[in-house]
Amino acid sequence: MRTFAGKIWTLIVSFLLITIAFMYLFTDFLYEQLYVEDTEASMIEFGGKLATKYKGGAVSDELIAEIEEHNNYSIFNVFAVRNPRELSACVPFDIDYETLIGPDERRQLLEGNAVTKIGYEERFERQIISVILPFTDENRLEGILYLYYPLAKISELASKEVVLLIAGVVMFSILIGYLVFKGLKRIMYPLHELQQAVRRMSTGDYRARVGVTSNDEVGQLSEAFNHMAEAIQREDEERKVFLATVSHELRTPISYVKGYSESIQNGFIEGEQKDEAICLIAREANRMERLTNELMQLVHIDTEETDKMYPMVLAETLRDSAALVNTKAVEKEIAIVLELNEEIIIEADEEKMRQIFINLLENAIRYSDRGTSIYLNAVIEDDSAVIQVEDKGIGIPQEDLPRILERFYRVNKARSRADGGSGLGLSIVDKLVQQHRGTLHIESELGKGTIVTVKLPLMEE
Amino acid sequence: MKNQIVVLLVCIFLMSGCSGERFTEINPHQPFVASVNILQPSLSFFDYEGKEITTWDFDAAYTGAALIQHDRVLMYGHDLTEAHLYELSTGKRVEVIECGAGTTNVYYDEQTERFFMANSKTNTVTSYDSQAAKLSEQKLYNYPMSMTAHDGLLYVVNYKDTVLSVLDIDTFQVVDEWDIAKSSHGIAILEEQHAVWVGGHGQGNRPNETIDVYDLETGERLTEINMPLMPIGITEKGQEVAVISHGKSTLYVANREGEVLWHQKVGANPFAAAYFGKWIAVAGYDDQTIYFVNEQGVEKRVKTKEGPFQLLAREDIK
Repeated sequence: MRTFAGKIWTLIVSFLLITIAFMYLFTDFLYEQLYVEDTEASMIEFGGKLATKYKGGAVSDELIAEIEEHNNYSIFNVFAVRNPRELSACVPFDIDYETLIGPDERRQLLEGNAVTKIGYEERFERQIISVILPFTDENRLEGILYLYYPLAKISELASKEVVLLIAGVVMFSILIGYLVFKGLKRIMYPLHELQQAVRRMSTGDYRARVGVTSNDEVGQLSEAFNHMAEAIQREDEERKVFLATVSHELRTPISYVKGYSESIQNGFIEGEQKDEAICLIAREANRMERLTNELMQLVHIDTEETDKMYPMVLAETLRDSAALVNTKAVEKEIAIVLELNEEIIIEADEEKMRQIFINLLENAIRYSDRGTSIYLNAVIEDDSAVIQVEDKGIGIPQEDLPRILERFYRVNKARSRADGGSGLGLSIVDKLVQQHRGTLHIESELGKGTIVTVKLPLMEE
Repeated sequence: MKNQIVVLLVCIFLMSGCSGERFTEINPHQPFVASVNILQPSLSFFDYEGKEITTWDFDAAYTGAALIQHDRVLMYGHDLTEAHLYELSTGKRVEVIECGAGTTNVYYDEQTERFFMANSKTNTVTSYDSQAAKLSEQKLYNYPMSMTAHDGLLYVVNYKDTVLSVLDIDTFQVVDEWDIAKSSHGIAILEEQHAVWVGGHGQGNRPNETIDVYDLETGERLTEINMPLMPIGITEKGQEVAVISHGKSTLYVANREGEVLWHQKVGANPFAAAYFGKWIAVAGYDDQTIYFVNEQGVEKRVKTKEGPFQLLAREDIK
């Protein structure tokens, strides 16, 4: 019985057997108590009536015969005794004789009280209940009236049916044992199913699900398992997609590098064309480097908690970020217009803050037309610092907006790749903002421009 | 300080207790009948009027007593290892006899001025002189108890046996053995009739109904006197012999030939009777009452302590 169900079965069945045994003993006890009490009361009543036949003086033969006559009609055995020896009259003397009553009982009887005894009586060779009533005349114990009734035990009563009784108990126990077994099997079925599903999961089959048939603890466990399995499956699929995307992203530059380098090696490209090819190889290598760097960054953000949070003046960081991307902006003749609240102080990792806004500004520059402006605003709204990066660029189609934060998602794959974007920038920004307990919101209209809003909590005073 | 006083008081109390309990003195000129009460160990003294003179309450579980000479009483107990001799006129304990447990009866013989102690554990009878010095001991049969003496011989009934032993008091050797009934108790010698009366309880569930009369010389069973039920107490005075049968609570008074003169029911389960002045005193064991009886019936009755088992009468005022 090493299974859980087996243990429960053993427990229930042993409790059942204990209960049966207890009930047997308890019933026996109860029976004896009630039976004995009841018999005793009737004996005293009957004996009391019978004792009225004694009118004083010596106990006569007629009285003894008359009392013994009652044995024919009464359920109790009754007899009268007048032999002083039986009545312990010789007690101060050492008597080698087992008297019917002892000295203490004699005393009680002399006081006029009835004596009741329960127990084994050698004279009758069995357990009896006896009631003794005195025949007294002027303080003399002339005789006694002795009533007794065999104290039959339940086991004695049922001695004939004892086989039937035991058989009944055994059959009942077997039946209950079987029913408990069946019931347990039914109750344990979902757990069994769960166990199977977990085994499938552990071998990598993430499609494993269990049926939820009840709302009890096991049902809730099954439901939780299903949720967990779904989450694991989704994660697994995302991982696969991600790996496929990463390999795809890496394959393009690798094939460029491979193609051009082989062409140069074999001397297919010469002169000016060769310089251009080398330039291309360098560009693709840079892209690969950047891609891997950004991937590394993503993994880092996922795994590490920020612990370098210090109070900082946001305006300064924003100005720094704008200054860093300014070269690129100037290249495209784009002006960055700053409108910053100088009093904004937040608690943040300065390095990561700078990265957020450099990424956002680079994106804005990348997708803006030549000669336009980019606006960088920072204001306080309620308890938050609200920073907006607004461009008048190409914008994002409405249908792409919900997926814009996914890794490697590009609105226009060909174009952005040509622009040097890896498709990881916004994902990284989103992760970093989340790390600073902030929110990222993107509004855009195709052809008109995009507004990226970052909300960060102000430092608590 | 308080504790020390208490300890001191307790010590004084204990010491005074040990140094000898002292009971109310009995005037040597006072005739009495005393009941030996065994359930509440005590000795209650009554005068001719049936008035209680005094009661001596004991701590020891005495089961019997014997008057030794005129002024002493020997108290013994079946489970006690020593017997105590008290002086009546002073109320003091004067002697301790190391007799060992099992004492069933003590008999004092005026003629030889010796007393004899019967013991059921050793099945012996031991003789002592009047100064309580042990003289000799003789092993008898099972459970020696009832005793009487006559003419230099001691007659001992072996209660759980069927033998009456006759010993020579001087040599303390068994000189004769008679066959008697088992569970015999109560013995009296009627000299002029050459008869020995022996009572008894009877054996098993069959109670004895008679006094058996034996020949004083031969020990031959002569006759029996019907005195139901369980005649065990025999006492005599003048021309009368009084027998108490406890089974039917009946007192029989017979002449010395064994003819029952009169009988009557007295008390509840009486074991002892004694001639005392013009009365026969009877002790009812179950009803704790001493009855003063004559032929006309019960003249007086007086309550005593629980379990009056024996009566000691002193009349021979000197």
